[in-house]
This record gives sequence, C-alpha cells and structure tokens, in this order.
Amino acid sequence: MPYQPGRGDAARAVVFAPLDGAGRAFLVERRLEDAIVAGVLRDGERLPSESDLARSLGVAVVTAREALESLRANGLVRTRRGRDGGSFVTFDRDTARRLVDERVRRLSRIELRDLALHYRAIAVTCAEVACDRASEDDVLGLVDIDARADAETPGGARRAAGRFFLEVAALTQSSRLVHEELRLQSEVGPLLWACLRDPAARAAGHVFRLALIDAIREGDASLARRLVREHLDAATEWLVDEKVRLEAGSVPLVPLASAASVDRGEGSPSRAGLARS
Amino acid sequence: MTPTVDALIDAVADRVTATIAPLYALIDEWRDATRAELERQIASSAGPTAAELDPFTAGLATPSLVDQESLVAGAGFVAAPGFLGDAPWHLAWWLAGPGGALRRLDSIDDPESEQFRDYRTLEWWRVPAATGRRHFTGPYVDYMCTDDYTFTITTPVEIGGGLVGVVGADLYVVHLERVLVRALRDSGLSGTLVNASGRIVTSTDAHRATGDLLRLDGLAEVLARVRAVVEGDRSGDQASRAASPVASDVEIAAALTRAELPGGGVARPCGATSLVLVTGA
Repeated sequence: MPYQPGRGDAARAVVFAPLDGAGRAFLVERRLEDAIVAGVLRDGERLPSESDLARSLGVAVVTAREALESLRANGLVRTRRGRDGGSFVTFDRDTARRLVDERVRRLSRIELRDLALHYRAIAVTCAEVACDRASEDDVLGLVDIDARADAETPGGARRAAGRFFLEVAALTQSSRLVHEELRLQSEVGPLLWACLRDPAARAAGHVFRLALIDAIREGDASLARRLVREHLDAATEWLVDEKVRLEAGSVPLVPLASAASVDRGEGSPSRAGLARS
Repeated sequence: MTPTVDALIDAVADRVTATIAPLYALIDEWRDATRAELERQIASSAGPTAAELDPFTAGLATPSLVDQESLVAGAGFVAAPGFLGDAPWHLAWWLAGPGGALRRLDSIDDPESEQFRDYRTLEWWRVPAATGRRHFTGPYVDYMCTDDYTFTITTPVEIGGGLVGVVGADLYVVHLERVLVRALRDSGLSGTLVNASGRIVTSTDAHRATGDLLRLDGLAEVLARVRAVVEGDRSGDQASRAASPVASDVEIAAALTRAELPGGGVARPCGATSLVLVTGA
C-alpha cells in the first residue's frame, strides 16, 4: 500500500518548516511591497527604522535590513542620511506599472489562476450573502460608490473596483469576510485589476457593478454569484493574455523545428506558435 | 395581549433603553463640551485647529476608554471638511486596547491617497449631518476603523447653525449583544431586538442571527415610523429643520408606542434608542 500523506502531514510540515534567513527577508520585502503597491503605505511616507521594523515583524535586524535593501533596489524605497534621515516610500505610477508587470512575469500561469481563484471564492460568497443581508440603504450605498467611480483613469478605476468589492463584503455583516477581502485586495488586487488599463474593461466594470447592484437589490443570489464569477474570470483571462504579451516581448525567436522548444515548460510560450495548454 | 405580558414587554424595552441611554447622555455631554471648546478656539486669534482640539478630545474620550466596564470601545471627534485650520480632513479617534491602553486610529487624511475615503458618505456622518440629530449606526463591519463588527453612536456638533463635525463612540457588537440578550433572557420573554432598518441586534431565538434582516408583515411600516420620529427631518435643509425643532428623547419615546403586527406579534420601540423589541412573532 503506497504511503498516502494526508492533510495532517501537510499541516504538520508547515509547523516545523525551517525559518531560514533568506526566506524571511523575502517575506518581509513582499509584505512591504504589497502594502506599497496597494497604497496602504503611501508615497513619501517614512518607514520605521530597521530595528523598529525588525522588532514589530519579529525578525532579526539583518533580515529587516536585507528586505529594505531589496526594496531600495526595486525603487520602492529611498534612504536619506542625516538627522532627518530614514527610509521613505517612493511610489509613482511608472513604478506601479513596472512592479505589476514584473510580478505577472514572475508568477506562473498556475499561480496567477490560483490567486485569482482564491479572490473569486471570497468575492462570490460576499455577493451571495449580500443578497440576503443588504438593506435598501445598503444598496443605495453601492449605487453611490459606482456613481462616484472615476472611469477615466486606470488608477481611478482600480480604486472604484476596490471600494465596490469592499463595500459588497461589508454588506455580508461578516468581519472575517471583510478582513479577507482587504487582505486579498492588497495581495491580488493590482494583478486582477491590471486589465483596467484598457478603457473597454473600465466600461465593462461599470456595467458589471450596475448589474450586481440590481441582483443584490432583488436578492437574486444565483445571478449575483454568476455575475461576479464571470467578471473576475474575464479579468483573469486578460491577465493570462497579458502574461503571454509580456513574455512574447522578451523571449528570443526560436526555430519551429527545435526539439528544445517542445520541452520549454510552463510560462514560456515560444514565438514559434506552439499551442498553449 | 394580556396586561401582564404587556408589562413584561415594557419592562424589557425599558431595560434596553437603560443600557443605551447613558451612552447617549455621555455623548451629548461630549458634544456640549466640544462645542464650547471650539467656540473658544474660533474666538481666539489662531482659530480652530486639530493641534489644539485633539488633546481636548482625547481628554473627553479617555475615561470611558480606559474603563474596562464601559461598553465604549472607540471614541472621538470627526471634523467637517475644511473646518479645522491645520487639517482639511480630520478624524481624532481613539480606541481602547488591552489592559486599558489607548491607541489613536491612524486615519488617511490625504485626499490624494489610494486609501482615502470621504467619510461624508458613511452612515455615521451622513445621517446626523442631514438630520441634526444623534444617530445609531449598526450593526456593521467598520472597515474604516478596525474591521470589527461595530455599533457607532454619533451626534452632530453645530455652531452658528453650521455643522462643524460629529462626536461619537463605537461599541463592539459582541459586547453590547451579550448585555442585551441577557436583558431579554432574564425576563423569560421570547423576543428579537432589531435596529431601525430591521436588522437583528439580538434574539432569544438562537436561529435568528445578529446581522440578518427580520422580515415580518407590517414591521417595515413600524420601522419607517420609528425612523421618521427619531430622525426627524432628513432633508438636511436648515430652514425646514428650524420649523420642526429637535424633539427631546422624552418626546420621542412618548411618540413611539407599541404596534401590533398583522401576524400577531408586537413591535415595541425602546424609548428613543431607535431599537425595536419584537415579540410573539
């Protein structure tokens, strides 16, 4: 009988997994990067000192220093010496765009879909529960968010999408679902709403919001679930296409007959036009 | 309904009122003190500033926040945009922490920030700003503050007929619910307490969940009347509001009498709290 590791083994493995230095610096860097990209830490904001950061995150000072150095190298943080010195967040639209592109390139299609699916799970449930729990005033609140949405710019559209989904989450009356929505928006948001660079996607977002508002007003949970699922699936497929676009721009041309190109593996389709799985 | 059941319903409604009313009175005191302080600052050469007001607000809020017995979990003042000379958008809000420690809410005051939220759209501002009266918001998930499941009581501070801000307090739903469900259970009555939108605050029926909307024939009409009496004029129009001055809590309570529901139950407003006790349905 082959040994079947069950869920218990996987859960235990997480508990006793080594906390190596390199891994932790990356986690610290990612946590701060997510916060900067999501706007939780603002452009120009002073970060805590290395030692304060280390203390509050529960890592060694050298780990915090390593994370800050990575952030500096990525142009997210700049350090000023002297009495008024410290590390400051530097974040502009170009950096935002570059970071999202890098992340889309770095993550495999499998990982992108997995992140999107996780977000979808929460968003779909929020819409379903909101159908049952939203009062008339709550629905008006959603109408107001859509009315105030700035569909002219990608940034404005991303903010509107974030606020709208957050408000739908709040209508569930569930503190945990709101917390999850906030957490996932920070991690997945910039990826899922990258499609809002496209004006057609911004317009579609407005249509989606109005349709979902109607579904919630009518208490039609099944329709609400479908609307959210389809909307997020479209954003995910755009992201998958964007990944192909980004990689097509960086992968050198490969001759059709090359055996090596057949075995290229996940995430690097060649220009030779091999069918994608 | 027999007289004894009526008396029991009244007693429970009174107990609910007695739980909430002291908080209302406290916030009214904060409003009066804040108004006096702001009038003083307005008359001074510097005008009203966050730098001067914040320590004052902290002083008002601290005793309740450090008191472990108090239901107050958060408290402070939120300024009308543009009112304070040194802070165009300003929240001065403190939260109770473990062991009596206090923490100031880190709000996003920069309108250019991704995270900025115009608080004038939120219920705890929007309704008191329009009605000129105290408002009881919730239960709701307060994602601007702590992600916690919260009730918020806010009352407007007006100077010279203009709104300069709101003062108020947050209560955690889990704490207030515990106190209120005890009041219901102690009486032996089966009942459900709802807010003015029909949202369940607590119930002796464990299958009626806090946060669900209570859908009963005739209840919407009762609640519409409660809202109309408690909130008065929602138009935000100063002139029409002047024509119908703010009723006192006693007057509001007197105007909100029990109503019988078509299905056979009774809806009994609890004083001027805006909460309604529903029994027999």
